[in-house]
Amino acid sequence: MTIEEALAKLEEITQQLEKEELGLEEAITLFDEGLSLAATIKTQLEDAKLTVEQVLEKTKGTFTLEPLDLL
Amino acid sequence: MSEEHVYTVSELNRSARGMLETEFADVWLRGEVSEIKRAASGHLYFTLKDEDSEISAVRFRSRTSALTPVEVEQGMNVLALGKLTVYEPRGRYQFVASVLQPLGVGALQAAIEKLKARLDEEGLFDAAHKKPLPPYPLRIGVITSPSGAALRDIRSVLARRWPVAEVYLFPTSVQGESAPEELVSALDAAIRFSDQVQPLDVLILGRGGGSAEDLAAFSDERVIRAVFGCQIPIISAVGHEIDFAISDFVADLRAPTPASAAELVAPDCREVSETVCARVAWMTRIVAAHLTNRSDRLRANLRGYLFRLPGRKLETLSQRLDGLVDILARRVSQMFTLRVRRLAHFTDVLRLSDPRLPLHRGYSLTFLKDSAVALRDVARVTPGSEIVTQLATGRLQSRVEEVMDE
Repeated sequence: MTIEEALAKLEEITQQLEKEELGLEEAITLFDEGLSLAATIKTQLEDAKLTVEQVLEKTKGTFTLEPLDLL
Repeated sequence: MSEEHVYTVSELNRSARGMLETEFADVWLRGEVSEIKRAASGHLYFTLKDEDSEISAVRFRSRTSALTPVEVEQGMNVLALGKLTVYEPRGRYQFVASVLQPLGVGALQAAIEKLKARLDEEGLFDAAHKKPLPPYPLRIGVITSPSGAALRDIRSVLARRWPVAEVYLFPTSVQGESAPEELVSALDAAIRFSDQVQPLDVLILGRGGGSAEDLAAFSDERVIRAVFGCQIPIISAVGHEIDFAISDFVADLRAPTPASAAELVAPDCREVSETVCARVAWMTRIVAAHLTNRSDRLRANLRGYLFRLPGRKLETLSQRLDGLVDILARRVSQMFTLRVRRLAHFTDVLRLSDPRLPLHRGYSLTFLKDSAVALRDVARVTPGSEIVTQLATGRLQSRVEEVMDE
């Protein structure tokens, strides 16, 4: 799941939680799901390291990637 | 004027001045600038010359507003519009420039403006063609020189703000004869790469600052049409704040510099992180509110039932019931707190979900004395009311003197 999808899902879960008539079981399930989504997003953000790759096309249609180490 | 007329020096200079100003009132003059002197008054004194000859010239400060903003430099070839006059106190004739612009650049600028107007007419810049940028792009294509400042700036901003991104560089030269063709083919490669290998969420096309000639490739019609045809959202980031290229108008977004393109293209991961935390805090509060609601209802229902029981045991039962409901509510709420705490990421969530947090930022809660419900409406307060204000570190008790509506 991309961060964008995870954020949208988290939003959706919050909205469902806001419904008055929600049963306790349901609320707990939603809450757990929301928490693990939130944890996934945070892990993704915290562990990330930017990569920069140069895309070369020596012959048309054949792409090779070369990591770029920049200062 | 008789033949015997003897001029004074002043008369001669004045008369020569009149002749020159009439004869050379509106002259276009082309030459190379040298010996620039900027007077404290703001006037600009300089010499214009060609291979064989030179003339002293001045641009008065009062006329500056009518000038192109381009600064004049030593050795620059310029085109000037002005008149010829005599500086009477010294008997020196000089050229007074009212318009002064770099030669060549003027022509280039004019050509760019003309092309821009034509493409605008054609509808290439219409808002209807602008594609929205994705809010959380993960794969970002950058079309620029591998050795330029633009790539370095974009990289360092993204490393700080949005390190989840993968940057794909499509190398091209960004100035010189071959630049427009190379830009077009790098853009084409990015589009095909996105189709066939790895979908790109957004593209940044740009370069760092440079002279007007250096930036010209980004105003080349071939480049503009390629940008227009690109289905991937694209940001144009050419030069510094004041520079512009036509690619700025045809792109989905114009960034004043490559560094700011990197800021505009993606959110700050710290903000996203905070949003996620706030969301978890909110979920926790909603669930807690559900529980309070539920235990209150439970209490009310049971009490209704108890009242129908006969006699004395009622009071004791009712008290025990209250105790049990409280324990139940506390247990369930602990269960939730535990769940949040188990995830090490959210240590600050509990702090965020604490309703007293705003107090530490200087907000306060106000109650009527002996009331537990925070005041939201001044209508409930009259002069003379006793109120209690809850601050982060304690309470204040005071008497209201006046009530004012907003």
